[in-house]
Amino acid sequence: MENLIEELKKEIIEVLNLEGMTPADIDENAPLFGEGLGLDSIDALELIVLMEKNYGIKLQNANEGKEIFKSVKVMAEYINAHRTK
Amino acid sequence: MIFNIGDNIVSPLGWTTAENWSAVAAGHSGLRPYSHRLGLPEPFFSSLFDQGKIDEKFLKLPYNQEENYTKVEKMAILSATDALANAGVNPADPQVIFVFSTTKGNVELLEDLRGYEPERPYLWRSAQLIARYFGNPNEPVVVSNACISGCAAQVAAARLLHYHDYRYAVVIGADVLSKFIISGFQSFKALSPEQCRPFDVDRTGLNLGEAAATIVYARHRADIPAGKPCLCLAAGAICNDANHISGPSRTAEGLFAAVLQVLDGFDVTDLAFVNAHGTATRYNDDMESVAMERANLTDIPVNSLKGYFGHTLGAAGVLEVILSTQELLHHRVLRTVGCENPGTAAAVRVAQQPMETSKTAFLKMISGFGGGNAALLVTVGEPPAAAEKAEAAGEPRILAEANISDTAAILPDGTRLSSTSSDTKQWLSELYNHLGMAYPKFFKMDCLSKAGILAAEMVMRAVGQANEDLKSDWGVVCFNSAASLDDDRTYQATIQDPENYFPSPSVFVYTLANIVAGEMAIKYKLRGETSFYISEHFDKEKFKKAVADVFAQTNAKHLLAGWVDYDNGHCDVQIFIFEK
Repeated sequence: MENLIEELKKEIIEVLNLEGMTPADIDENAPLFGEGLGLDSIDALELIVLMEKNYGIKLQNANEGKEIFKSVKVMAEYINAHRTK
Repeated sequence: MIFNIGDNIVSPLGWTTAENWSAVAAGHSGLRPYSHRLGLPEPFFSSLFDQGKIDEKFLKLPYNQEENYTKVEKMAILSATDALANAGVNPADPQVIFVFSTTKGNVELLEDLRGYEPERPYLWRSAQLIARYFGNPNEPVVVSNACISGCAAQVAAARLLHYHDYRYAVVIGADVLSKFIISGFQSFKALSPEQCRPFDVDRTGLNLGEAAATIVYARHRADIPAGKPCLCLAAGAICNDANHISGPSRTAEGLFAAVLQVLDGFDVTDLAFVNAHGTATRYNDDMESVAMERANLTDIPVNSLKGYFGHTLGAAGVLEVILSTQELLHHRVLRTVGCENPGTAAAVRVAQQPMETSKTAFLKMISGFGGGNAALLVTVGEPPAAAEKAEAAGEPRILAEANISDTAAILPDGTRLSSTSSDTKQWLSELYNHLGMAYPKFFKMDCLSKAGILAAEMVMRAVGQANEDLKSDWGVVCFNSAASLDDDRTYQATIQDPENYFPSPSVFVYTLANIVAGEMAIKYKLRGETSFYISEHFDKEKFKKAVADVFAQTNAKHLLAGWVDYDNGHCDVQIFIFEK
């Protein structure tokens, strides 16, 4: 699980172009949207692509992301339970 | 004020305005479910031409068979041919100017050039070939302002007729659907899996459609062909309110401002209806309802044509004005197909059934990516006596200038900075650091927007305006050659390989040229008009005229304007601040 969280942080920084951030800067329990990293709706869509591309998880509805992207930890738990690759 | 003297719609519902009117008046829709079309792995619901129909129709036109036109060019030519014949205008006359509105033109050629020359995906190239087909000697004007392009092109036509020596403007809007466009909207999760339901409480997103539409506008009322009614584009306005590149403000600031401008001095009880953009996305329809509430238009019937044609992108603003004009001529307000239970942020009077009307005007509203909003007022019969704002277009003053190339930048104070990198992307990051900017969004931008925002920061600082104070009388006018082609290629790479097909929403959102203008509007809170034109080269005289036209026709006191091009790693930016 710890490895997955670390891996996810790196992937998020890369796909969302979070310039100047390192995995250590991301609190795995902090909200990804709103306060936290200040991500927007396009970032949420890009995280949906990340889940499909890297873990084989396909979300049909962007609204499903709201629960899953609460924090890196919640996202990692979801991936752990649903990944197909 | 300019006059529609001939028009045409080419869509899956018909080849002329009359055929399209008959189809929609009978309640027909071009929207269908498709699967395994256009190389898309997922099914979609759209309005598409039957395969081969365009070619079949096009072969009947007289033309030089040596020129192999693309689908979007053929649609544009078919549409303009019929509109010009209706208007009785000779397109080879030097007093005629072509105005082409498209969002993506020949973007499908990025997947495979299919023997076309490498310049063919450039929007100016298609426009030149279309104008040349008709023997027109003038360089066409190309408007690419995302979803509002078709309405922005009509605003541009009014200026060309008022302030330049043209007598007729042929405004053509056209877009074809491709894997590129549909996959992008799918990645946004914005498409409805069923027929769209504009203004419905349970609306599920938009449908896309393909079409071309043309209006031939005349400067003088005397040029209306004998026996034809007086169809008048009485007013038009464009206002930006971007707070995010994917759309206008939730409180409808820009659309409300544009509506107020076009209805200034007009008695709204004379409006037969409002033709909304009505895309059936939750956000758009809510926003439009708020604009109507703020403008006291909630008693006026409102309809959306998206349930008949889908969102036809660069054609939408032209097609919907033509169809709405037909509604006035037939004394009938069309129903909003798909709306069963209206439900929007503000309660509006959605036309759910066809309604009779004896009124003679409608308001067109449209909004889109990059924060653009446009409103048009169209009348049938005796035009309103509203005083025209037309001031003599004087020479605007340049307050600041900055340039960025692949290797160097010249700041407004004359300081020259040189790149230490051979990589242009790296060079843009160097400039960001040199300016000491703290704008993390910068790193999410495509290179076109990065280059534009850096140059904008330089000139805005030079005039002490690089802040977030609301600037309601500031606008943006940009030109370039490549539109968003650099980003288009990046996006294409995400869908090219079927084994590695992951359409990227964060790349797709930048595949519109005017997004850079939207980024400028967001950063400095510029709330006036934003316009984006495409031309082969930077023609400074035409550019200055466009700037002067905006000053003459809008409330803008300052314009952030210039040439912002980024193509194949090459950066060419010249930005100015003009003062009225």
